[in-house]
Amino acid sequence: MNRRTLLQAGGALGAAALAGCSNLISTQPAGNPPVIDDRPAAVYYPTHVEGMDMVGMGESGDYRFGLMYSYPHRFWNVTGTETTRTGIGSGDDVHIMASVWDSETMQVLPDTGLSLTIRRDGDIVFEEVVYPMLSQRMGTHYGANAGLDGDGTYEVTVSVGGMSTRRTGAFEGRFGEPASATIEFDYSQGARDGLSRELTPDRAGERAAVDPMDMEMMPTGTAPARDSLPNVRGSATSGDAEFVVGTLDSPPAGIDGSDTYLYVSPRTPYNQMTLPAMTVEAATGGFDGELTRTLDSELGYHYGTVVDSPGDSVTVTPTVPPQTARHEGYETAFLAFDPMEVSL
Amino acid sequence: MTDGRSRRQVLKAAVAAGGAASLSACLDAIGEESVDRPTGTDDLSTLPNRQFAWDDVVRHDEYGNEQLPRHQILLYLTLERDGQPTDADRRQVERAFGSLNRAFEWSHEGVVWSVAYSPAYFDRYDESLPEDIDCPPPHSLSPFEQPTFDEQDMLVHLASDHADAVIAAEEALRGNRESANGVEFDASLSGVASLASDADRRTGFVGSGMPADRQSDLEGVPDDGPVPDASPLFMGFKAGFAQNQATEDRVTIRSGPFADGTTKHVARIRQRLDDWYGEQNFAERVAEMFSPEHADEGWVEGIGENLGDNSRVDETLDTIREQASESGRVGHAQKAARANRDEDGSVKLLRRHFESTDENVASLHFPSLQREMSSFDAVRAAMNGTDLTEATPVIRQRVNNGILEYIFVANRGNWLVPPLSKRALPRPR
Repeated sequence: MNRRTLLQAGGALGAAALAGCSNLISTQPAGNPPVIDDRPAAVYYPTHVEGMDMVGMGESGDYRFGLMYSYPHRFWNVTGTETTRTGIGSGDDVHIMASVWDSETMQVLPDTGLSLTIRRDGDIVFEEVVYPMLSQRMGTHYGANAGLDGDGTYEVTVSVGGMSTRRTGAFEGRFGEPASATIEFDYSQGARDGLSRELTPDRAGERAAVDPMDMEMMPTGTAPARDSLPNVRGSATSGDAEFVVGTLDSPPAGIDGSDTYLYVSPRTPYNQMTLPAMTVEAATGGFDGELTRTLDSELGYHYGTVVDSPGDSVTVTPTVPPQTARHEGYETAFLAFDPMEVSL
Repeated sequence: MTDGRSRRQVLKAAVAAGGAASLSACLDAIGEESVDRPTGTDDLSTLPNRQFAWDDVVRHDEYGNEQLPRHQILLYLTLERDGQPTDADRRQVERAFGSLNRAFEWSHEGVVWSVAYSPAYFDRYDESLPEDIDCPPPHSLSPFEQPTFDEQDMLVHLASDHADAVIAAEEALRGNRESANGVEFDASLSGVASLASDADRRTGFVGSGMPADRQSDLEGVPDDGPVPDASPLFMGFKAGFAQNQATEDRVTIRSGPFADGTTKHVARIRQRLDDWYGEQNFAERVAEMFSPEHADEGWVEGIGENLGDNSRVDETLDTIREQASESGRVGHAQKAARANRDEDGSVKLLRRHFESTDENVASLHFPSLQREMSSFDAVRAAMNGTDLTEATPVIRQRVNNGILEYIFVANRGNWLVPPLSKRALPRPR
């Protein structure tokens, strides 16, 4: 189904609409509740919470990969400030999710390209560039709805591109090369249908978030805790995101210069998930311009720049929202921002 | 086997399958007893010394765009013995090639073809290629690909408008038949060079109607058959506009032992077009294939026939960053063109790509000819658009970034096409 058709249908793809899909074998959960009409323009508790299961893990050099799956999901792609809903296609069997992280720091790598190739007996059944996504339970991961070829054993190759995002600290010179790992996936519709699925009508639409998942061995895309960041100067909130602002006396390894380094670390409310792939501008002292997207082993994923003479305060203005797809509950947040003032 | 549809079904599968049975089926389908195409010549001086000089002998459309032969076969051959080829090997190979020249006219009605050699082949010799030959071993050309490198010894590329002609040419050249097109072969490549695996035989096609004809039940193309009937390529647009292609002169090596040769890069690329067609409207496809400006200005109608012999992509280069920021997309053609022009504005690469259904996956064989291989590398680097991903997060490594979301590079190989006079197992000097 074309995602535009879905949008024109008012987004109400409820049980009634699904009942019209007379597939011999239903690959759908028993109808998702419609998206809430009066959603806040902020993070909200979704209409349903679905369980997920670990498929397996893989590694290549410093890269670690995790592969998980759940029921197919609706999600929203973001281009610039526009969101476009992707519905569940009639052939979709699973929502498949990959996460990529650094073996040493266990930090998720949020800002690269990732593709999945799913083969059965050597034949390709799915191959796509899968989009970076934000979900309340995982934070940044890479995901897509995929149609499979019935119950059986699949080989899933997760391929990650080398990052072009600036890398500093212990990440300097690392993660610039592509890597891949193949993970076996024993899929059955029965096992999928055994995943938990809870409708949450009592809480849906509340300004709250589902708790992050807690999985051993596999990190979520959480931003460093405010208390663990060096020399935090303050924070401000806009677009329902919190922007933690700090300075370093000199920039992290990998950045030329010896002047003050200004960093901005945005995160979601409630769960403190990293917000990658934004454009963030800042003005302080003699500096007025774009901050650079940077992945640092101490500061995490942040937006930073060297400033030769910072003023008493900084104005932080996000001009492009996080270019990541959103799972339900995040699709109305982090899209429009006002300038924020933080004292230095 | 007389109705048009079943005839097409046979012809569709014949080249991909190859072999004697396919040739018979092919001939049945066209109602012929044997291959009957224009024959060639035993006077090599009547043929161009440039093996890639196809432009004068293939069809052109009304705008002067080169129309590549409809059926193509790539044979990635491995020498059967280690070490340097012998003079006896060279004589045998030249007799086989000479036989092919006698068997088929040098044209799209007969067979146009070329043979090229890999850097790995030249490594068999003690001396190296001349310094000014720019043809290194294949390597990765983007931050996100991990292709298999094709390092077989020889690449024989056969092309014809007739399926029976390319299949017969291949069969005789490989020694599976003694003649082709009624002409006895003096020798074949058998015993000197052969296919090391089935995957080293690759096939394809190009031309209006052919992709649409082959799109059903094909992995990589949506089930609803979105490829337009008129399109020569799976992605639904024409390509290779004459004004955006290098001339054969521009890609020719000018001096030294390989004068009249060229370098040839060949990539094999899987296409995944579900989202290309399923999640984007026509204007969005135009924006990602050509440029956002093409989409905004309505420069492309249908498959782009209205563009004539010029994609107009040169008009969109100066403002590529602004277009990317404003529209959230950047065009494939405009990105690549940035690195594909000489100082005087002339184009460096001569691209001769064609489509494939090998292994039942929609894919693309992408031969590109250029005087120096580094020109190809530079164009591919520009096509990656890494600079644009740094300019705005809306353009991601492989999303909103031309057609990178829909193509997966499976193989890359670099080849040196020697002049005809040195086409049989050349030495490096």
